[in-house]
Amino acid sequence: MTLRRWLTVILLLLPGLGLILGLIGTVVWIAIAQSFGLYGLNGEDQFTLQYWAEVTDRRVFARSIRYSFYVGTVSAILSVALAYPLAIWLRKPFTGSMTIGAILKAPMLVHGLVAAFLFINVIAYHGILNQAMQALGIWDEPRRLQNDSNAIGVLILQVWKNMPFALLLLTGAVQGISDDVLDAARDLGAGAWDRFRKVIAPLSISAMQAAMVIIFIGAMADFSFQVIAGPTNRQSMSQLMVFFKDRGDWHSAAVVGVTLMGLAMLGASALAFLARLVMKGRSR
Amino acid sequence: MTREQLNKALLILLLVICTIWLVIPFGMAILWSLVDPSEPWTADRLLPPAMSFWRWRDMWENSSLQVAMATSYTLAPLAALLSLALATPTAYALGRIAFPGRELAKLLCLLPLVVPGFVTAIFFTSLLFQLGLHTWRFGAILFAHAVLALPYAIRIMTVSFEQVRQDHIDAARDLGATPLARFRVAFLPALRPGIFATLLIVFIQSIEEFAIAFILGSPDVVTIPTLLFSALGQDYVRPNAAVLSLILVVPNVILMLILERLLKSANPTLASGKG
Amino acid sequence: MLKSIFTATAALALSTAMSNAQDLSAMSWDEIVAQAQEEGELTWYVWYLQDDLRRAVQAFEEEYGIDVTIPEGTNASNADKLLAERDRETGDIDVFAWGYDSFANVTLDELFMPLTMLPEDAGRVSSLAGVDGGDHVLAFWGNQSGIAYDPAHVDAENLPQTPEDFAAFWQANPGRFGFNYENGGSGPSYYQNMLRAMTGVDFSDGEVTDDRIAALEPGFDFFNEHAEHYVITAGNADSIIRVSDGELWMVPAWEDHLAGLQNRGEVRDDIAFYIPEMGMNGGGNGVAIPLNAPHPAAALVFMNWLTSAETQTMFNSTFGTAPMNTAADDSAALVPNEQRAFSTVWGAQPFRGAVEEAFIDAVILER
Repeated sequence: MTLRRWLTVILLLLPGLGLILGLIGTVVWIAIAQSFGLYGLNGEDQFTLQYWAEVTDRRVFARSIRYSFYVGTVSAILSVALAYPLAIWLRKPFTGSMTIGAILKAPMLVHGLVAAFLFINVIAYHGILNQAMQALGIWDEPRRLQNDSNAIGVLILQVWKNMPFALLLLTGAVQGISDDVLDAARDLGAGAWDRFRKVIAPLSISAMQAAMVIIFIGAMADFSFQVIAGPTNRQSMSQLMVFFKDRGDWHSAAVVGVTLMGLAMLGASALAFLARLVMKGRSR
Repeated sequence: MTREQLNKALLILLLVICTIWLVIPFGMAILWSLVDPSEPWTADRLLPPAMSFWRWRDMWENSSLQVAMATSYTLAPLAALLSLALATPTAYALGRIAFPGRELAKLLCLLPLVVPGFVTAIFFTSLLFQLGLHTWRFGAILFAHAVLALPYAIRIMTVSFEQVRQDHIDAARDLGATPLARFRVAFLPALRPGIFATLLIVFIQSIEEFAIAFILGSPDVVTIPTLLFSALGQDYVRPNAAVLSLILVVPNVILMLILERLLKSANPTLASGKG
Repeated sequence: MLKSIFTATAALALSTAMSNAQDLSAMSWDEIVAQAQEEGELTWYVWYLQDDLRRAVQAFEEEYGIDVTIPEGTNASNADKLLAERDRETGDIDVFAWGYDSFANVTLDELFMPLTMLPEDAGRVSSLAGVDGGDHVLAFWGNQSGIAYDPAHVDAENLPQTPEDFAAFWQANPGRFGFNYENGGSGPSYYQNMLRAMTGVDFSDGEVTDDRIAALEPGFDFFNEHAEHYVITAGNADSIIRVSDGELWMVPAWEDHLAGLQNRGEVRDDIAFYIPEMGMNGGGNGVAIPLNAPHPAAALVFMNWLTSAETQTMFNSTFGTAPMNTAADDSAALVPNEQRAFSTVWGAQPFRGAVEEAFIDAVILER
């Protein structure tokens, strides 16, 4: 690349990535410094590895990592897996397709906290779900569904809120594929699955990766769904972070925070890479 | 089965799913919003024992809701536009120019998403205070929201730029189109869904964001999430939260439909011509 | 470099704020009141019952002609704002209310003005819930944790009073007792007092040693043995709501929180409350004035009013809180006074924090 071209790239990156690095980069730096005992909000400022040693030694730390990873990965995969067929179905407009699109996207417009509280109401001990199941004679007595230990409640909420986002991105990408390409594939005898695998997937993989990565990070760093609907015998990383923070232990909170940042970035790249591998597309 | 029949079957299936997807939660929200303060609605009853519009009236008349709505619905669209404007050059570079380190740059763009909430809440705002932005609170929140939403805007627009087809650009150029005309015929059709998605997502991010808008704005500038978090916080008044969320969903849906219509061109599938 | 910017501005802010405070300390109380009236307004960041408190401060506004703004906000967001703007020369917060034990998490003289210019009043309370507010914090709201129960299912004559009683209740009514371990202090108050009552460990000693934590083992085992019979809830509010819904029959709760939810028609008003004989913690909220308060004189006059015997008597009758001025009348509390004797003080830090971590590791994660 020529110098001139480099200059163009840098100028182009400046307002977006530049702002991010300048402002958020500073903040990230503060979080990292805090995890090593600096930038204390309570006076003392001393470089130390003590907080890393102490926090990583706690059992709850490893468990929260595993748990957050689980929620992030499953939410991302489920949301995208559900959104793909819908996006393909809605690729070409037909009567009512716009209404369906709007209905499917509506959950995006409901605040997460509100969604969580509505959900808890539905599955409450005497809630509508329990009452319906009893009325149908499927269950003999109400079941305790709130805060289930497999985090199914959290996953349902995550998918409810994030599937529309994946759908939005995938619809755009799938609509960008021209009919000629698909027709050509059909003429060459490709079945539906082959057309998806060989044509649609490679051409929409960027959108899929973007959706996957963003949902993964959001779900992994989730606090509010976890606090309201999550299992009470496990903590997500954000929850653990707030646990420390509320005690005024900023440094330990920062250790968890920095770990979360690192793993989210790592996980996001891994997920993007895997998605590409599975789709085996020759993407551009 | 013909495509028509298939659509019909799928429509019915979807209707059932929608009931679970939307009707139950929203129906519950409507019922909750009608609970009269004279008697609480406990979960062992199918319907609230006493229903009235008292909470709707009270919320509309006695809280800072009207001011907050005006603020939020000015703030969010502006944040969406600003974020889109800031993101587009970067997205162009990431989507259309092959340069070493592009994947790393894409990854770094995600930074605002991974930074823990309490860190942004305290240190990002503290940074903005020190940059002197707090003299115009609204502007400070606007800027903060636009920056924090950049990952969405950049990633989405990057995907869109990748989908612009070089042959279209070349064809336009060969036909002697001006840069503006070239943009309109070659870029815009492919970018439209991305622009729509970006505006919608950033709008939602801004309208939902609480911590930063509160720290920078309070006590003068109040946004909707401040009211919502108060209603769902320590005093956790479910009926009030239901009223608030319903009041919010309506304008959101209308906005989304307007935006969709505005940006709905001829479907790019149909406009894209020969591959 | 960044670091130096931060500290330099912090030092600058600190020095200007200090001079504000010093100006005030040179004044007589009458002069401070005069300046307060000149300032004419103040903003009180308080994280709960904002609507009711707005009504309560009208008496102050009428008496002094100073407007009080109480912004909406939550506990966490108010605290974040306080910390985020600590380096500003002039902030937005005049009076800051916080859970009394939260004040122990910050260095008081780096954030708050000394209150030495307030008129002498021996009745004020600056030490509460095991935290000494010194010259910087005054209590204005006393509350009590205890057990909320559903009288439709629990016999009011035969309430559990000791750990053994509770275990008996758990066994007789599996799945009907719940407590939280985070999002509010009622559950922690419950399990810490259970641990104290069972093991006899002295919680007023803040020292953390392996031996002292190990001494709590029998208590952890007790909770683990009965793990099947009780429920862990998601927080203070979740506990009470599940009693109101008829799912749970008994949960730890805060007396003032329960009363607030009942007044708002959020939960059933027949839910009753008591303090068990084994003891549960009293707590409360305090107020302080940030160093960079925009209206420091008005803030001082407001604090003087808020912590006075008359106002505390009014709070007692309006909110049912324990008065935080010894000269106030406390006859209107929600709990009979003989039960108040069971009120205990929160464990001293850092021991209390270590107990909470150990409890999560040994009991919560084992479920």
